[in-house]
Amino acid sequence: MCGCLAGWGVHVHDERFDVVVIGGGHNGSTIAAYLAKSGLSTCVLEARPECGGGQENTEVRPGFRIDPHATYLYGGAAPGFDQLELWKYGMRMVYYPSMAGLVTLDGQAANMGSRWRPDLAEESLARYSPADQGGTGRIFDELGEEGSRDLLRALFWTPPLPPKMEMDPADMPWWKVFRERLPQFWFDQLLDMNYLDFLDEFVHWEPLKVLSAIGAWYCGAHPAWDGMMLQALGGTLLFNYASGAPRGGMHTYAHAIVRCALAHGARIITNAPVGEIVIRDGRAVGVRLSDDAAFGEKTIWADKAVISAIDVQHTFLDVIGQRHLDPSFRQRISDISLKGGSLFVMSVICRELPRYHGRADAFPDEVYPSCVVAPADSLEWVRIQTRDSYSTRTGPATLEPEHLTMMICTHDVYDSTRSVDGFHVLSPIYLEMPPPEYDVHGPDGVNRQKEEITRAALGLLERLAPNMTGENIVDVFVNTPQDSEFRNTGLVGGNWYGIRQSEDQWFGNRPLPELGRYRTPIDGLYLCNQTSHPGGLCLMAVPYNLMHVLIEDGIADPGSWWYPSSFYVPDPSAQRGAAS
Amino acid sequence: MTRTEHRILRPAEHILDEFPERTEFDVVVIGGGPNGLIAAAYLARAGLRVALVERRQEIGGGLSTEETLFPGYYTNPHAFYHMMTDYLPVLSDFDLRAHGLYFVKPNAQAAALFSDASSLMLCHQIEDTKDSLAKASPSDAAAFGRVMRTWRRIVEDLLAPGTYLPALSPIDMIESLERTDVGREALRLTEMSPVEIIDETFEDDRVRALMLYVACMWGLDPRESGLGFMVPLMIDRAMNKAQCYGGSHKLAGSLSREIHKAGGVVLDNAEVTRIVVAQGAVTGVECFDGRFLGAKAVLSSLAPPLTFGKLIDRSEVPEEMSEAAEHWEWDKWSLCTLALATTADPRFEVDDPWVNDALMVVLGFDSTEDVLGHYDAVATGELGDRLGGHATVETRYDPTLARISGHHVSFLQIHAPYDVEGGWETRGAEISDELLELWRRHQPGLGDSEIVLRSLETPVDIETRIASMVRGSIKHGDYNPLQMGAFRPSASCVAGRSPIAGLYLCGASSYPGGLVIGGPGYIAAGSVVEDMGVAPWWQAPSFVRRYQEQYLS
Repeated sequence: MCGCLAGWGVHVHDERFDVVVIGGGHNGSTIAAYLAKSGLSTCVLEARPECGGGQENTEVRPGFRIDPHATYLYGGAAPGFDQLELWKYGMRMVYYPSMAGLVTLDGQAANMGSRWRPDLAEESLARYSPADQGGTGRIFDELGEEGSRDLLRALFWTPPLPPKMEMDPADMPWWKVFRERLPQFWFDQLLDMNYLDFLDEFVHWEPLKVLSAIGAWYCGAHPAWDGMMLQALGGTLLFNYASGAPRGGMHTYAHAIVRCALAHGARIITNAPVGEIVIRDGRAVGVRLSDDAAFGEKTIWADKAVISAIDVQHTFLDVIGQRHLDPSFRQRISDISLKGGSLFVMSVICRELPRYHGRADAFPDEVYPSCVVAPADSLEWVRIQTRDSYSTRTGPATLEPEHLTMMICTHDVYDSTRSVDGFHVLSPIYLEMPPPEYDVHGPDGVNRQKEEITRAALGLLERLAPNMTGENIVDVFVNTPQDSEFRNTGLVGGNWYGIRQSEDQWFGNRPLPELGRYRTPIDGLYLCNQTSHPGGLCLMAVPYNLMHVLIEDGIADPGSWWYPSSFYVPDPSAQRGAAS
Repeated sequence: MTRTEHRILRPAEHILDEFPERTEFDVVVIGGGPNGLIAAAYLARAGLRVALVERRQEIGGGLSTEETLFPGYYTNPHAFYHMMTDYLPVLSDFDLRAHGLYFVKPNAQAAALFSDASSLMLCHQIEDTKDSLAKASPSDAAAFGRVMRTWRRIVEDLLAPGTYLPALSPIDMIESLERTDVGREALRLTEMSPVEIIDETFEDDRVRALMLYVACMWGLDPRESGLGFMVPLMIDRAMNKAQCYGGSHKLAGSLSREIHKAGGVVLDNAEVTRIVVAQGAVTGVECFDGRFLGAKAVLSSLAPPLTFGKLIDRSEVPEEMSEAAEHWEWDKWSLCTLALATTADPRFEVDDPWVNDALMVVLGFDSTEDVLGHYDAVATGELGDRLGGHATVETRYDPTLARISGHHVSFLQIHAPYDVEGGWETRGAEISDELLELWRRHQPGLGDSEIVLRSLETPVDIETRIASMVRGSIKHGDYNPLQMGAFRPSASCVAGRSPIAGLYLCGASSYPGGLVIGGPGYIAAGSVVEDMGVAPWWQAPSFVRRYQEQYLS
């Protein structure tokens, strides 16, 4: 494919592929695997030295690996595991007996177990809130394995409807599954509800509401976003569905995907930032690497498609010449809301796990909750933190507990590869913050408060778990939303799902209605990033959904291993035939 | 409570397919360092079903690029440059540049910076080196020019080719080297110690200090004879260091891609706990999580004390290998590295501004005595009275390592004993401060406000990150005459073949050694295809063939 004058450092022929993918993060490498497996010559251009994007693990201290971004396997129901046969490329899981727990300042500590150990939640609820036994926690049981998979695939692994197609909200695939499988929970008003409304309706115990709300905020739609009740619930279902993490951490999952792409012949070039998408007669025909790319040949041609697996704003505001776009479109692109999941991530290396309220028996080691929400006292505190992040657009207004409800994760209880014997890693410890672009104190507002916030958060942790003293804590690492953007430019706003997952930016509206089916105003250019439906969480869903469209457009013709979503609605007007 | 893997939960419901509990391969390679990767890549392309099994999450071993300065600044904590890129057959056999793998080899290779801010440089170009040496001693400049004509031939004609061929026995080696003047000179040097060679060649003590440091920095004992032929190699290669653009891990990544392209498997987070041997032949390996990978051939890149002392049932280990395992000597010293992320470009106060471009700057030694005192101290488990080491601005030639453009990543590395008096955990902070002080003595502009982050990696840290580097042994075992050449790791292992049928050795503890020269993996791969009756798809590079014709025919 490429001739090389040995010794000259110059490639004499152009590089030419069927498809060029910009960005080797989760979605870019997954679409490359799909396309390479479909027999297309595929090239991935990654700006960083390593693929995987937010699926990162970093050995910041010898022997200790942290999760700066993604942390659990949410994508258990993805068709990709099966279609791409990731098991062949080393995919392994560690399943956890307990995924979640909650701790309150007023002395409560409840282990909510995982789908593998429902008895743990039952026991906790019997003690703290008998009224909640058989409540929403039972949704998973009611759905069962098949129903859960169906509901999740309807929500996430289904391409948005063809443009201009109308559908009654209650007939949307997810509501259809919900109505059929959970009739006892269904009523019309659900359609307009947010998750907080739903929790008020079905949950009694305040701390359990907090756990659910925080869970949704970090795994799905924010609990206060209207019309997104089921998407919020869906996020927590994703978390529960696999109830575990890839062996070694999320980067192992990235390895499996990248290796699958390579095994099927994809070419992956790292340290190769893209400067510009080459557009001729309104059609994307290739890309030009930026001048600092570590690759001799700077133009790479795409015969069939260019797929932008970088976020929508970088795509249209940076790598497409502004002469190709009209100003109204550009404005709409820059107005896409980044508010949502900007994360302040702490990683703590310690000798002992937090012993909440000084009780070793609160969470015994063999069923220690991998993720603890604390302090889970009041839903009002979730509202306060939401205002900090979205309304006042600043870090915590004060450093009191009501501003600092955390999600404290630890994996090494169940996965010895992540740390050294005799120590533990609490990583990530998440706190929501405003995206740097919105911070009223400027993009580095939170960075300037970094030490203060960290100190306050750790002080609060010590209040909850008295053994979390300076002696117990060996090291602390922090990445703010701004740090995350620097480390990994694809993480716009340091945000775990790129752009807000609210109704205005969900399904066919994500990121904009005219871009909702991954196509763009530029022929041959497709979107494949978490800024398209269904967002983040490393679900292999954006690429899976995009495949339907690439097949419609005659670009991809996968073999018998492919199966479409059972909720897929083909686009009647899109029979464009093979792109020439 | 210690975490144990028996807590692995195996849910009844099927969530997703995983890598099977039992698999069968032609070849399993233990350890994803440079040699394991090279062996696996050659064998996979030869059509064998290959699995490479790695304890860490990232393959690469010493080819690592890690965010040790979190968040946002990457360093190469081990191999930060590569000295054999002119020769490594794997680079051309796989055309790795097609992956965007580029090596930057600047002319300003190394410098020594003395306490009075004077300096000497070792450049890629001999005349530039001579220009710099002439500042101290015109006659040494001339001597350098003369001696390098022979030393380069020793490297080009003998040592570089010998790196990629099985070791000769000492008798065969002498017989073959006796054939030429260059060979005879190599033999003569062999009987000398590094300090004798340097003293014989140069007069000026600062020139000697630079040359001696460079000759011994990767583990030669300056006073020991028997390995003197390595002095020309270390000095010539110190003039040919190349930095991997994008970080050393890119080389590992490129090799791993070749394995996948050829249908091979890489299993990471999979520490091997047992090499299964039955009736004198290997049958496969067992991982910590209970997975078993069956194989006709197993290549271990680990040193004898691990391969034979830990992984194989004692009853299956031949006498000579238990002995080799028991008597194995780990590296004489390890390394301790202070890394800094800075907002400004660190510049030395020095008589020759070009020193700031050098890939490596040696600090803290004004004389041969200083250098000898340093190596003597470290070899006996101390740090010595005066600290000295080498500094590199890693972002000088690879700006990708700092994620904030304009910022820099640098390190100052010293040789250090594994068992430092008082222990690393206690003394780390103090040693880190002393290193920074040494640095600042030569770089007064390096103020606290310029330093964004700093981190110290001690010998214990090296072992923690990479468990095969026992006691921080970056070369998996000392370079001394009893552990080099045909004796590495044992005279009963020839061309990577161990006495156990189907078990090969392919790591830095095998001939010709470590430092990412790639010989052990390449040689073992050759033996495996030969033994399995598979036609090798590659052929020896021309510099190797020339040597074979002249010295081995």
